[in-house]
Amino acid sequence: MIRVAAVGDIHLGPDSAGLLRPAFDTLGTCADVLLLAGDLTRHGTPEEARVVAAEVAGLPVPVVAVLGNHDYQSDREQDVTRELRAAGVHVLDGEGIALDLAGTRVGIAGTKGFCGGFAGRSGSEFGEPEMKAFIRHSRRCAEALGRALGELGGAACALRIALTHFAPVPDTLAGEPREIYPFLGSYLLAEAMDEQGADLAVHGHAHLGTEHGMTAGGIRVRNVAMPVIDRAFAVYHLPVDGDAPPVPDGHTGSRPG
Amino acid sequence: MTSVEITEYRIEHLRDRLAREETAVLGVRVETHGARVVVRGWVPDEQCRSAVLRLAGEELAGLDWYDDLTVSHPAPPDRAEELS
Repeated sequence: MIRVAAVGDIHLGPDSAGLLRPAFDTLGTCADVLLLAGDLTRHGTPEEARVVAAEVAGLPVPVVAVLGNHDYQSDREQDVTRELRAAGVHVLDGEGIALDLAGTRVGIAGTKGFCGGFAGRSGSEFGEPEMKAFIRHSRRCAEALGRALGELGGAACALRIALTHFAPVPDTLAGEPREIYPFLGSYLLAEAMDEQGADLAVHGHAHLGTEHGMTAGGIRVRNVAMPVIDRAFAVYHLPVDGDAPPVPDGHTGSRPG
Repeated sequence: MTSVEITEYRIEHLRDRLAREETAVLGVRVETHGARVVVRGWVPDEQCRSAVLRLAGEELAGLDWYDDLTVSHPAPPDRAEELS
């Protein structure tokens, strides 16, 4: 069993130093990896990124992150990435990483993702250049996520996790105004996950949403925006083939490959 | 009635400032509730809450408004979810 800790939307600013560190210092006892689902800063400045980096530097578990829209606000996303990487964070931007966690090879594919909406209510790559560029960015993020998941599938990973900032499904947006769903995520992300397979999808961005959702193909989706989970991070236990089955609780379910 | 006096435009001006200024919050909702305006949602710390209230006071001056903001107190989790 692999223990996945995850949180997004921590929105740290210059005054936030030390806010999350006491909680993160407990990770060694309850998790094998920490996933950060974007919006780590408020304005995306290097100064804010250094605060984030200090919160996670030297933790006893590997830290894997994607950036969110706030982390792009100052057009310094490369500097934000550099600060995080200097602290040992694996920052993913349309790529994957395979980690050996507790003797199990776990693949994590990450992209910020983008918006555009969900099936039946989404924008199209049509019309003005601005509209085409908007949807094209969403599509390219999803394509990169799909490629990364596919490569991890070929890398003999026992488990694969899709990490995004924007939401892949509308389920986890429940609580947000429906009118803004198209700005909160894209079905293209879920389609890429369902085509390539994943054991868990983790995202943030939707502060008023709900934690639990599922893609049409049956992949569990968790919205880990800190306002949603209402704690420093959530922990998910993912079984590995060969694990003893959990005690039956009356529910059944399958895990897509 | 001028656009300056129309409540829904003033709400949008506040939301725009909440996003662009030091608060950088997009997740705080500002909407009419009966005859009043409510500012509600989650903010990461007390400094951010104070800044949101200051901006709301400036943009909603003269209107009947109140806040229902939640400040983060991030604690370690007391449970894990088993995904079978």
